[in-house]
Amino acid sequence: MSKRVTSRAAAAVAAILGFQAWGATAQAQDVPCSSLPNPVYVQTGDTQEPLMKNLGRRFRDSATNPMTIIYLTAGSCTNIEALFNRTKLTQNPKYVPSTAEDPAWTPQMAARTCTIDPAGVDLDIGVSAVFLEICTETAVPSHLRASIGPVQPYVFAVPLLSSQTAITAEEAYFVFGFPNGGMVEPWTDESLHHIRTNTKSTLLALAANIDVEASKWKGVRWDKSSEVVNALKNSPNAERTIGILGAEILDGNRDSLKALAFRAYGQNYAYYPDSTPTSFDKQNTRDGHYTPWSPTVYMTPIEGGVPTSTRAAYLIDAILGKELTPAPGFEPLESVVKVGLVPDCAMKVARDREGGDLRKYDPTEPCHCFFEAQTSGAAPASCTACTDDGPCGAGKCRHGFCEAR
Amino acid sequence: MNRNLVTLLLLTLALLSISACGDDNDAAESDAGVRADAGAPDGGTPVCSTNPTTHLELINACTNAVRVEKTPVLPLLNADGTRPPVP
Repeated sequence: MSKRVTSRAAAAVAAILGFQAWGATAQAQDVPCSSLPNPVYVQTGDTQEPLMKNLGRRFRDSATNPMTIIYLTAGSCTNIEALFNRTKLTQNPKYVPSTAEDPAWTPQMAARTCTIDPAGVDLDIGVSAVFLEICTETAVPSHLRASIGPVQPYVFAVPLLSSQTAITAEEAYFVFGFPNGGMVEPWTDESLHHIRTNTKSTLLALAANIDVEASKWKGVRWDKSSEVVNALKNSPNAERTIGILGAEILDGNRDSLKALAFRAYGQNYAYYPDSTPTSFDKQNTRDGHYTPWSPTVYMTPIEGGVPTSTRAAYLIDAILGKELTPAPGFEPLESVVKVGLVPDCAMKVARDREGGDLRKYDPTEPCHCFFEAQTSGAAPASCTACTDDGPCGAGKCRHGFCEAR
Repeated sequence: MNRNLVTLLLLTLALLSISACGDDNDAAESDAGVRADAGAPDGGTPVCSTNPTTHLELINACTNAVRVEKTPVLPLLNADGTRPPVP
């Protein structure tokens, strides 16, 4: 083949490939959000994005109650303010494709972007990953309903190559509250402390747990969790590097990062969020040995005490593990557990304020057996599988297992 | 008879020495018991609660989870063990 033909062929191929790439990008960018089926507009922290993507895919594919979760990520305090003040969504948000649209898509891939109406859209749900009171002294307005959602653990994270395994609250107090890490080895280089900005739940929650105001933390402040992940992974000095992340973000990056065990004030030993550094059972988060966690809070507009969006109310009930009508055709709590959150129904401790003391907790609709079956791969021997209350005696069948009530 | 008396004396001495050793062992065991006494204020193994109800009991409850022991070095800690205010 002559050089001229070869070069023309190469140019043609390049043009076709370029056109396809442009087309793919243009397709994702040009989809109006309003064209997506059964939309629910959500503004949430980026620690909750794994849940939005996992659940988003399943609801796109639901045969009984399909919906599109259209979400924007922003800091928890920003989300609270948006719902409190009825701020419209004006930035282009994300959504996930249905299996019919893209069979190959998985929640590990990037979500797609849609184009929002320039006039803005009312938010259906706002999510905070900290107690509301940490961001505002204003009581929940009468036009909102706030529901306690799954628990979000937070971690001090280091690169896998770091030899460190634990940090105490006292150490963290000095490392993040004082210049040069308060001379606490090995974390004496502030430029290797990767933290978040003041509106982010990750910082606010950990700040409350070590008794250092968020605004006083020393370190490099990042807007996104993904930026902290990248900074940790690419650090020039693993031993001196430390950052803060949501546990579910860390769980998705265990091939290169690890969580430090944490010893709270007054505690005798340091513990991981899970029973071991390699498990995903969140045992210590559930029973109080691991203290840096916050409940997520789901806010939705109401009128006359009733949510203005039935679809939003349904989605919130799904995330909270409540009984749904119609049934969605899948178990939503599976997504909650899969992304590393702990449903309220699986918690054994509770607290009433950010970083506050723990107390024993007995959920009104427990799901301990379901949670343990999900995280360990098999239900404990003491759990009885069920499809109705029949085999449960005085108890109740919840999420496929008999519970005490 | 002298032989019997000597034997008796030797036996007596032997019994006395065994008894003394036994006293020493009792002291060592006693010491060991104090050291092994969980929750002893002299720094023995901390006690864990098997039926926790308070915050401190919950975070220090007995568990099969992996735990990490750490004695941090805090150069800026006040001499009395309190933390200085964050600047």
